[in-house]
Amino acid sequence: MTLFDPTSAPVARNIAVAPRPAGLRGLRLALVENTKFNSDTLLTKLGALLAREYGLTPVLMHRKRSPSHEVEEAAVAELRAKADLVVSGIGD
Amino acid sequence: MVGSDDPAELIEAYYERGWTDGLPVVPPTEKSVAAMLAGAGLTGAEVIGEIPGRNTVVTADKVAINAVLAGCRPAYLPVVVAALEGLCHPDFAYHGPASSTGGSAMVLIVNGPVAPRLGINAGNNAFGQGVRANATIGRAVRLVMMNVMQTQPGLFDRATLGNPGKYAFCFAENEEDHPWEPLHVERGFRPEQSTVTVYASNSLYQVYNQLAAEPEPLLRCVADALGNLGVPNMKGFSQSLLVFAGEHSELFRQSGWTKRRVRDFLIEHTRRPVADWKRAGRLPGDATPGDATTLRRMFENPDDLLLVCAGGRAGSWSACLPGWGNKWTRSVTTPIRVIGDTP
Repeated sequence: MTLFDPTSAPVARNIAVAPRPAGLRGLRLALVENTKFNSDTLLTKLGALLAREYGLTPVLMHRKRSPSHEVEEAAVAELRAKADLVVSGIGD
Repeated sequence: MVGSDDPAELIEAYYERGWTDGLPVVPPTEKSVAAMLAGAGLTGAEVIGEIPGRNTVVTADKVAINAVLAGCRPAYLPVVVAALEGLCHPDFAYHGPASSTGGSAMVLIVNGPVAPRLGINAGNNAFGQGVRANATIGRAVRLVMMNVMQTQPGLFDRATLGNPGKYAFCFAENEEDHPWEPLHVERGFRPEQSTVTVYASNSLYQVYNQLAAEPEPLLRCVADALGNLGVPNMKGFSQSLLVFAGEHSELFRQSGWTKRRVRDFLIEHTRRPVADWKRAGRLPGDATPGDATTLRRMFENPDDLLLVCAGGRAGSWSACLPGWGNKWTRSVTTPIRVIGDTP
């Protein structure tokens, strides 16, 4: 008797990974916050810490539509244009 | 392949592979899967929907297998397919309600002629057991979520408690016994169209009121249930689903209260002083003197209250089903494409 597999694995996607920066000093930092409670507070402190300890320059905080939603394409384009490095975090 | 045609051994084989929801499944055959696909006029390769953030692609062949496992009749498949299209809609934002610790049930509300045709229960015990269409359509959707959409408990389903509606939660609106226009008509569909609305809710609370002879006292009870201090949605304006059953919906018919009037009353009467929320630890900080008289709204827009009629004629019961997750998901109504129906 044949078993019918009801499952599907995620579809594989090729993702081009950005090259790692040689150093952090002077790079432009963007933060993506997921709108959960205290997410913006947490990321703002993290941004300040990265600026102080590693010389990054926070330039942008993007607020997602919600934790459920992905970052919209327009926001991705803005992040790509204005930042060298992005930290995406979660708060709650 | 397994070396047996014994149904009990086959059922065990599906358990062993983690392909069930904990209940025994109906082992599929070539014939039953083909019949299931034919029930929706599908061939198997069609893409029903995608969840880009999970690299998930939902195809008709897998939906059909899961529908057989769930015990569906082939005629049910168009409802299952339409519900999955709703879950994959960007406005539903599947990842949050499917994964959250809140443990949402995916509530399926069926409207239009397909409901009586398939025998989807809108009357007595509409949320309960005993009707094949309600039980197996809801179950098929959950099985697809688990088996295809990576929503396995402990992996991408992180429910703290979950709820029994996660096995199956499907009912029809009682359009024959209704004081207003039904949900799908309110959302722009024609009465003769069939639709399914998907809605994420992490609880169900039955509201009792035997003495109310007009809407206002009944709605005070409903507002109290919607605005309790432990409700998950006080921070960001969720939707909430209200299901009014026979005796209560009759109050609205007799009184002439419109849906808009009901919604306005509930928005007004679910407001609570900020001091209440602070003392309960739902808002940060200590209550100030002004917080005692500053009212905080529970709902931003009247349309965030979904008003539906279902359930038996007898009994003084209605139900509140708070929505999951602030504005992080929205209910979605999708047309059901039944073979032979005019689109």
